Amino acid sequence: MMGRYFRKIAGTTQSPPRVGLAEICWSGLGSLLGIMAVGYLHHQLFEGTAMLLLIGSFGASAVLIFGAIKSPLAQPRNLLGGHILSALIGVSAYQLLPPCPWLAAAVAVSVSIMVMHATRTLHPPGGATALIAVIGGERVHNLGYLYAVLPVAAGALIMLLVALLINNLSSERSYPEFWV
Amino acid sequence: MPTNDKGAGRSAPAGIDLKEEDIYEAMRKIPGYLDITPGDFKEIYLLAYQQAVARLQRQVTAEDVMTREVVAVRPDTPLAEVAEAMGHKGISGVPVVDEAGRLAGVISEKDFLRQMGVTGPQNFMALVASCLRGKGCVALPIKKQKAQDLMSTPAVTVSPETPLKKIAEICAARKINRVPVTDAAGHLQGIVTRGDLVKATGGGSES
Repeated sequence: MMGRYFRKIAGTTQSPPRVGLAEICWSGLGSLLGIMAVGYLHHQLFEGTAMLLLIGSFGASAVLIFGAIKSPLAQPRNLLGGHILSALIGVSAYQLLPPCPWLAAAVAVSVSIMVMHATRTLHPPGGATALIAVIGGERVHNLGYLYAVLPVAAGALIMLLVALLINNLSSERSYPEFWV
Repeated sequence: MPTNDKGAGRSAPAGIDLKEEDIYEAMRKIPGYLDITPGDFKEIYLLAYQQAVARLQRQVTAEDVMTREVVAVRPDTPLAEVAEAMGHKGISGVPVVDEAGRLAGVISEKDFLRQMGVTGPQNFMALVASCLRGKGCVALPIKKQKAQDLMSTPAVTVSPETPLKKIAEICAARKINRVPVTDAAGHLQGIVTRGDLVKATGGGSES
């Protein structure tokens, strides 16, 4: 009983193999362009504010949609659904829960994960998007549910557009695996 | 062979010895990052394989695997001819079919042995022992008899639509090596032998 428990901690298998050089370069190029596009938009719209925090969330998305393009977590359904649902949940958590940031932040992230699971839109950066809705400061709070549209949905769409353009240039890459 | 650390007691079906190294090498051949560990892939593979085997066993029926050109005898065929036919074709049992093609019964080596006074286990060595203990050829008492005197009737039969799994269960439960396949009117359509079952489940790669 205990032996089995500790064997589990030791791990049961091995890491997947390292990808080839081409894959490394395509991942680098895609994410460079994707984050540049979203960063430029943010810079123009929300210069010098806490809104720039959101770029962190898209940095995480870039790892998936440019670095692990076959992953179910990286598909358009997950990218868009995960960010938008989590944004709505984050705003709701801030508005509905008592003014207690650590509670609202935790609830926002945890409910987001559950909702993303239930809707088959699991996308890890969604957790950050929900969190930023709570801890992002006054200007984020003032946006209300508009937060889910701009910057969140707009940013996710730009990332998706870049991913569609860049990830299909190589003969060995294809994106997405599925849409819905 | 593969005891998967994750699935308790879950092991590969016979004939499949997929190693994690195989999966790792296969993953290396696919460009791009695969968001799965070799261990998880193996678990999925084994479950999918078992699922496929179960599905095939449900879907494949007697009709798909039966031997259609069956060596059969008539009820009035003399036993000498029955024995010759079985010996010549190297088979251990034949269906007995009437003029209209309806199955009347089945004769197997065991029926011969039983009729020749072999008690206990009915096999060739038991017959030899019986010969050596007794006097002369033990086949003499049945020399004049015909197929209908010896055959097991009614025979255990299946229909063309019977799934393979069911046939395997029948063979095991009744301790028989072949099952005639008959249509609703009792006409012989073919026969499913243990060999057919083994071949159909992938046991016999040599055809």
